[in-house]
Amino acid sequence: MYKKRRKRSIFDLMSEYMEEFETLADELIESTFAERPSWNTESCCLEPLCNVFVTPDEVVITADLPNAEHESVKVEALSEDLIEITAKMKRKMRFDDFGITHREGEFSFLRCQPRMPVPVDTKRMKISFKHGILEIRFPRKRGHEIQVE
Amino acid sequence: MSELVKIVEKKPIPSGATMLYGLPDVGLVGLIATSYLISELDSEEIAYMDSDLLPPVVVLHEGLPHAPLRIYGNKNFIAVISELAIPTRALHRVMRKLVDWGQAKKVKMMVSMGGIPIENRQVIAEPKVYGAASTKELLDMLSKKGLSTLNEGYMVGPQALTMRYCAEKKIPAIALLAQSFYNYPDPEAAAMVLKELSKITETKIDVSKLLEKGEEIRLKARDIMKRTQQEMTHMKKSQEYDLPLYV
Repeated sequence: MYKKRRKRSIFDLMSEYMEEFETLADELIESTFAERPSWNTESCCLEPLCNVFVTPDEVVITADLPNAEHESVKVEALSEDLIEITAKMKRKMRFDDFGITHREGEFSFLRCQPRMPVPVDTKRMKISFKHGILEIRFPRKRGHEIQVE
Repeated sequence: MSELVKIVEKKPIPSGATMLYGLPDVGLVGLIATSYLISELDSEEIAYMDSDLLPPVVVLHEGLPHAPLRIYGNKNFIAVISELAIPTRALHRVMRKLVDWGQAKKVKMMVSMGGIPIENRQVIAEPKVYGAASTKELLDMLSKKGLSTLNEGYMVGPQALTMRYCAEKKIPAIALLAQSFYNYPDPEAAAMVLKELSKITETKIDVSKLLEKGEEIRLKARDIMKRTQQEMTHMKKSQEYDLPLYV
């Protein structure tokens, strides 16, 4: 038998759209933080924490490099939008040092590869290393100016 | 229907203690400070939280399973830590339960330890500690101890809820918040918070070992920091940067 559906109000629809939108936003956040280990036994690397910020003029990348030998810190532009940060650790770490006995491997390096969210000039980067925090600043590439009529 | 969030007591709970909160938040300041204090004061696990709202995780220590959210204590302190970033959707119930439980145990004061994120943290040699309180008398007490207090603005996360529920229930509560990194573990900020806690509670706390182990802690805390950052994004922690509207 035909059952008359209650007409949904604009508020119900809006609330449904918002819920859907929030679920999508959550999924996007989850995918940004990929579920993979923060270590790699093949390359003997621990992945340091790293963040990318975009300002109107610059892209600023920071990385926390505890236990890094200051002189060994290296920043390399692998491509126009991919940077590699590496550093040798002052002291090797093993899984044992983390109390983990069911895995084997040791780590001598810190390495991460942040990606640029917008075009930058990688040749003009400025690097500083203070308090164990590496900071790299890249000027953003400018487009063309649009005349205001 | 069974309780959604319950606290399982393993040992007798001291009465009249100071209850400390060290839950994952900016720079993991509170978690690092509280974990260090637990080992320094040689306290033992007295209770843990059991809840279907928390992720299906146990933490193994010396081969045995433990709940990630645990409560330690000695006769003067009750300290809450979590080795798991508390999911935003569970945060209200978890914090309300902890405050209710603390009240039932007649704690004399609740202290949240944490951080205030600042952008240029790496150029600051000695992070400053700010205080917040649930009552005017406690704010005055913090000022007398030489602490600057937070007067306007937003607080977001576990310490915000502790403050709100304690104010509701008239339980004395303060927050000690050190300038810190937002998303990098900050043992130095944790040490500064402990120094202030030491003054306020008149308890000797030696932070030298914490500072010595700083680099090791930063390496070991990478994963929990990353997961905490996800939850901070969910709970819109960045609102603490917002300027409030008062007309």
